Amino acid sequence: MTARAEPRSGRALLLVLPALLPVLVVVGAALVSAVLLSLGLTPLVGVPRLSLDAWRAAAPDLGTSTRLSLAIAAGSTAVAAAVGLALALATTAAVRRSRLLATLSALTVPVPHLVGAAGMGLLLADAGFLPRLLGIAPGDWPALVGGRWWVAVGAEYAWKESAFIALVVAGVLSTRAASYAETAALLGAGRWARFRHVTLPLAAPALASAAAVSFVYTLGSYEVAALLGRPYPEPLPVIAVRLFTSIDLAARPQAAAVAVTTSVLGLVVVLASLRFLRRLAAEQ
Amino acid sequence: MSGVRRPSRSPLRAVGVAAALTVVLAGCAAPDAEAPVAQQRSWDDVKAEAKGQTVALWMYGGDDQGNAYVDDVLAPAAAEQGVTLKRVPIADTGDAVNRILSERQANVTDGEVDLVWVNGDNFATGRQAGAWLCDWTSMLPNMAGTDPADPLLTTDFGNPVDGCEAPWHKAQFSLVYDSAKVTDPPTSLAGVLDWAQAHPGRFTYPAPPDFTGSAFLREALYSVSGGVSKVPLAFSQDDFDSLTPPLYDRLKTLAPSLWRGGDTYPQSQEELDKLYADGEVDMTMTYGPATLKDLVAKGTFPATTRVLPLEEGTLGNASFLAIPSTSGSQAGAQVVADLALSPEQQLAKAQPDTWGQFTVLDMDRIGDARAGFDQLPASDVVPSYEELSKNAQPELSAAWVPPLDDGWRREVAAG
Repeated sequence: MTARAEPRSGRALLLVLPALLPVLVVVGAALVSAVLLSLGLTPLVGVPRLSLDAWRAAAPDLGTSTRLSLAIAAGSTAVAAAVGLALALATTAAVRRSRLLATLSALTVPVPHLVGAAGMGLLLADAGFLPRLLGIAPGDWPALVGGRWWVAVGAEYAWKESAFIALVVAGVLSTRAASYAETAALLGAGRWARFRHVTLPLAAPALASAAAVSFVYTLGSYEVAALLGRPYPEPLPVIAVRLFTSIDLAARPQAAAVAVTTSVLGLVVVLASLRFLRRLAAEQ
Repeated sequence: MSGVRRPSRSPLRAVGVAAALTVVLAGCAAPDAEAPVAQQRSWDDVKAEAKGQTVALWMYGGDDQGNAYVDDVLAPAAAEQGVTLKRVPIADTGDAVNRILSERQANVTDGEVDLVWVNGDNFATGRQAGAWLCDWTSMLPNMAGTDPADPLLTTDFGNPVDGCEAPWHKAQFSLVYDSAKVTDPPTSLAGVLDWAQAHPGRFTYPAPPDFTGSAFLREALYSVSGGVSKVPLAFSQDDFDSLTPPLYDRLKTLAPSLWRGGDTYPQSQEELDKLYADGEVDMTMTYGPATLKDLVAKGTFPATTRVLPLEEGTLGNASFLAIPSTSGSQAGAQVVADLALSPEQQLAKAQPDTWGQFTVLDMDRIGDARAGFDQLPASDVVPSYEELSKNAQPELSAAWVPPLDDGWRREVAAG
C-alpha cells in the first residue's frame, strides 16, 4: 500500500463511522453477551461460573438443526437465485413487457416476511385457499405446510428473496447489459452466446452477493419457519427461541449457544462469499 | 483471519472491546433470587399512593373478549379510583417475564411492566429469579371473598403462592368435541385415546411446549399411570424415569392414528382449533372453555360443539395477577388487583357475552353478591363450573413440565 493511501483510508473510515458504529456496538454487544451467556458467565440467577454445560446440553439437537437450517437456506436461495435472475432478465430484455413484471416483483419487496408467511399458510395449508379452489379434500392435499419437506417455508423464502435478487441484478443489468449485448449481437453472437458470455458474467457478482445476503437472512430468520414449519426437527432460530422462552431459566444459556452457532454459520457464509466475489472480480 | 490488519481498524477494535467490557461488567452483577417483600401498611395508605399512577397490565392479547373486558369494564372502574390502567397486549406471557428479568438484571426500579396476567410455569420462572413482589395480597380487602384454604389459590402448579400474586379467575382443562360427528363420546381420557385409535385421522393434540398441548400431556400421564394418585405432584427424576416410558409408548402407539398419521402435530392450540373449525378433526381442547361459547356464537365452531366430561375429571387451575418487583407503580397495581377481585368485576367478567371467565370468589363469603352469580345464564356448549370442575385434578409442579415436554419431543415427535 502506498503512503498516500493511508490518510485517505483513514478519512474514508471516519466517513462511514457514523453508520458503522451503531451496528458494531449493537451487534458486538449482542454477540458478546450471547457468548458470555452460553458460557455460563452471565446467569439470570446464581453465581457466574465458566462452563460448557449449555453447549453440551444443546449439542444433541445442534447437528440435525444445523443441517436442516442449511438445507432450507440452500434450497430456497437456489430457487430464489434462478427465479430472480430470470425476472431480472425479463425486466431488462424487452422494454414493453418489463414494466408490469418489474412492478410486480418490486411490490413483493416491501411485504414483510411474516405477512408473506401468513399468506403462504392461507394459500397452501390443507384447508387453504388453493385446495379449496381446486376442490381437493384436506386429507388428499400434500402436506406442504408443516410437512416433511418444508415446502411452504422454502416457497415463502424463495418468493420473497427472488424479488430482492431480481431488483439487485436488474439494477446492474439495466445500466450495462444493453450496450454490451448489442455489441456482441453486432459481432454475430447468438442469443445463448450473449447470455453465456455477456449477460451472465455481468450479472454474476450482483447475483452472488444478493444470493449470499438471502442465504444468510434465511439461515437466521425465525418467523417463517416457526409459522409454516413443524414441531420436530426445528431449524436453528426456532430452537433458539424455544429454548430462550422456556419456562426453565437454565435453558437460556443453551439458547445462547444455538444463537452463537447460527451467527458463526452466517459469518462463515459471508466470509466465503466475499472470497468468492473477490475471486470472481479477479477473473474478470 | 488474515494477519494483515490496517492500523486504521484499531479504533473499531477499541469500541468492540469497550462494548464487550460494558456487557461483562453489567452482566456479572446477577440479581439475587430473593423476592422483595411488600411493605405492610393500611389499605388507605396504598390507595392514597396509587392516585395518579399509571398501571401497565401486560396480558396475552389474542383473546378479543378479554381485551374488551379490560378496556371497557376494568379500566374505567380503575379510573374512578384515580388509577390509569393501560393494557399492553403480548403474544406470550413469557415475553413479559423476559422483560422483567432483563429489567432486574439492569437494576431498573421503574420498569415498563406493572401487572402481569400470569400463572403456572411463568409464575414459577419469575419465582426462580425473584422477579415478583411478594406478601402483598393479604392487604387487599377483596381477598376476604376468597377461600383461604382453596388449593387452587394457595399453590400455582405446585408453587406456593405466598402472596406473590392475586387470584383472577379459574380455568378447567376441557376436551371439546363435535356431537354431530362423535356419536359415541368417550367418558375417560383412556377412552378418548382408544376412540382416536378407532377413528384414524380424526384426532390430534398441539405439540408441547404449547400450553394446551403440555396440559394434554399431563392429563395423559395421569390416565396412563392409572390415576392422579399414582403421580407424585412434586418432581423427582426417579418418578419421571418410571412413569413416563408407558406414557410415551402409549402416545407412540397412538401416533399413526392421529391427524396426518402423526407425522406432524399442530404447533399451537390455535392451529388445532383451526383444524377443528375446518372439520379436519372432530375434537379440540382448551384450558379456557370460556371462549367456546363465543366461538360457537360466531359460527367459527359448529353449533353441535360440546365440552366432553371425563369421569376422572380434568386439570384445573387458577390464573393470577402478579406485580413485578421492578414496577414503579406497585400501589396502583395493588389497587387494580383488588378491584379485579371485587364481586362486581368478577361477576361482570363471568357474563358469557363479556368474557365468561369462572370466578375465584367463594360463594359463601360474598354475601348478597352471590345472587348475581346464581343468575348467570346456562349454556348448551359449556357446562357450569361446578359440573366442569367435578373431580378436578391438581396440576403437577412446574418442575415436571420441561422434562415432560422435552421427553415428548425426543420420544414421540422424533420417533
